[in-house]
Amino acid sequence: MGSKALLMLKGVSSMAPKNQIFNFNCKSSRSSNSSFSFSKVVFNHDKNNKGRRCSATTTQSSLEPPDVSHLAETARISLTPNEVEEFAPKIQQVIDWFGQLQDVDLHSIEPSIRADTEDSNLRDDIPETFENRESMIAAVPSYEEPYIKVPKVLNKE
Amino acid sequence: MMASTIFRSIQNHPLLLYPTALFRRKNGVFYCTMKSTEAQTATQEKQKPQIKNPPRTQTKTSDKFSKDYEAVIGIETHVQLNTLTKAFCGCPYNYGSPPNTSVCPICMGLPGALPVLNSKVIELAVKVGLALNSKLSLNSKFDRKQYFYPDLPKGYQISQFDIPIASGGYIDLDLPVEFGGGHRRFGITRVHMEEDAGKLLHSENESYSQEITASPLPKYCTTFYCIELYSSLLSRIYIVVFTFNQVDLNRAGVPLLEIVSEPDMRTGIEAAEYAAELQRLVRYLGVSNGNMQEGSLRCDVNVSIRPIGQAQFGTKVEIKNLNSFSSVSRAIDFEISRQVLLHSQGQGDQITQETRLWEEGAQKTVTMRKKEGLADYRYFPEPDLPGVILTKEYVNSIRDSLPELPEVKRRRYEKMGLSMQDILFLANDVNVAEFFDATIAKGADVKLAANWIMGDIAAYMKNEKLTINEIKLIPQELAELIASIKGGTISGKIGKEILFELLAKGGTVKGLIKEKDLVQIVDPVEIEKIVDKVLSENPKQLEQYRGGKTKLQGYFAGQVMKLSKGKANPGLLNKILLEKLNAQS
Repeated sequence: MGSKALLMLKGVSSMAPKNQIFNFNCKSSRSSNSSFSFSKVVFNHDKNNKGRRCSATTTQSSLEPPDVSHLAETARISLTPNEVEEFAPKIQQVIDWFGQLQDVDLHSIEPSIRADTEDSNLRDDIPETFENRESMIAAVPSYEEPYIKVPKVLNKE
Repeated sequence: MMASTIFRSIQNHPLLLYPTALFRRKNGVFYCTMKSTEAQTATQEKQKPQIKNPPRTQTKTSDKFSKDYEAVIGIETHVQLNTLTKAFCGCPYNYGSPPNTSVCPICMGLPGALPVLNSKVIELAVKVGLALNSKLSLNSKFDRKQYFYPDLPKGYQISQFDIPIASGGYIDLDLPVEFGGGHRRFGITRVHMEEDAGKLLHSENESYSQEITASPLPKYCTTFYCIELYSSLLSRIYIVVFTFNQVDLNRAGVPLLEIVSEPDMRTGIEAAEYAAELQRLVRYLGVSNGNMQEGSLRCDVNVSIRPIGQAQFGTKVEIKNLNSFSSVSRAIDFEISRQVLLHSQGQGDQITQETRLWEEGAQKTVTMRKKEGLADYRYFPEPDLPGVILTKEYVNSIRDSLPELPEVKRRRYEKMGLSMQDILFLANDVNVAEFFDATIAKGADVKLAANWIMGDIAAYMKNEKLTINEIKLIPQELAELIASIKGGTISGKIGKEILFELLAKGGTVKGLIKEKDLVQIVDPVEIEKIVDKVLSENPKQLEQYRGGKTKLQGYFAGQVMKLSKGKANPGLLNKILLEKLNAQS
């Protein structure tokens, strides 16, 4: 259930009102105000007319309630009506929490795109073969040497 | 092999079989694979070859209208970077490795695995950004793009969304002479870094598609294995499947650059040349092998048409499955004709935003999927990776290390006085260009060097299926050869013989001339001796010549050349021969 909620959380941003986006960074969420900032960049990426236009300039505390059924669909999970009912208030809590964050006055704060940018942590381009490949392959539920077998793809309508 | 898998799955689920006629997609409960529909179309066409001509009629009809419309074309190109390892893990990537051998928990998307960015990816992205005259973001980041597909183990692709590493810019190119020539500058919208997905293998023989069909939900619902592997909560996905596909994850996580052009192209040729110039660019930069057949350079084009003079764009159609520059060009021209025809028939509203596939065999585009209703990728910043920070010093050091780029090279060759045809040939392949540059650096005549490379050397490479780096001839010896001919040491004919010797076996021009005693005979006394010998050996012909059959001069010249083993200087030979022939008449 814990991981399920996490997945739902990813979906939350998609239900936010059209003009908002949340930049949540794992490190910064509960720390001091100064290390956390919302992006003030107006996103305008619209490659195929399907990219979302979002901006985070508005501070708005009342957010739309979650459409749990839609969320479940975007996460490709099916929920029973009972589950939908059960999850709705929980997700609402998360959204309300973001609503609180939205109220923080950020007008004097310089926007940052990432919270943790001091350490770049890069890797050299040196090949390293993973030693325990056999056990990974053994854990694949459906494997027929040398391929992973998956159901034939599916065009959702 | 796939066929037997299919057959087995049919045997296992005999209830899955229904006549195709009963199968209607609008039910909403059924899922149909794109591939199977394709197979069906292909079969139908084979059965009725007599109705295979509609594309031609279409072009004819639309020709009348095509002058009233202009096409607007934009291209998205994916370039696979030639790093030794993947983007976020140390797995080595080699094209053609046995399937699923170059994998680790990171690129297989196992829980808990964390990506670490390969520094080389940034370096190559910066190179391309600079070469495309783009503005680099000193501060960018990665984002997650979420979608579900069996070749994407994590359930999301690590990409860049709102802040790409490079934005803006342009690329310059020269259109080939045979297409009318001309210089073009096409805008670049953005360049961003992302990871590739794995390979989903479709079976070749999917003849089953006419008989087999899906069952209603949820009775025969099969779980989505690939994703189930990583997340048990996805096990309840409602998917109906016919049979299995195979996944190879070697390519999963391999670094890509996505290069998005401005909608600046107007014809199939312009688009194909744009793609060819990008290929040239990445090869000059050494960031990718740019091989379209291997999928190292993949182009998706967007095509729309509008009445000439209209500022607003028409409805755009995306075309995929373009595996060569000529298919880029032909697919676009086909699509333009198709759209013009629809407009001319008053059916412009039938052009819908969709993805179409180029069918190489049928030479046409077919619907792959209609506008994905709500393709919501739910982008958000990748929490497992820090931002991408570039310093100005770093960018400058890369800028200083950039090689001479194709456009600069072409302009330099132009100033040398080469024709556009020569320029495009020489600058097309970076290795050929380097060979040419090295040859003229050794003092060779520019035009002669170009002629040798484009003529006999290119022909030899083509016949022997060799690249210029594989031939035994080195630039220094080509320069020597050209100088030897120009200086009169050897004749042009001998020069050719030496060239083929050098191409196949290597060695030096001087060595070969010495070894084979090929130095041109320029001593008049020596040539005179040979001429005398030939005249005395051919008294009949000499008589005929002197009797008025002056055409025989050529015969004598040939005999002298033969006797001198081709070494006699042709000018001297003819001069002396004529004197002798006409002397006692």
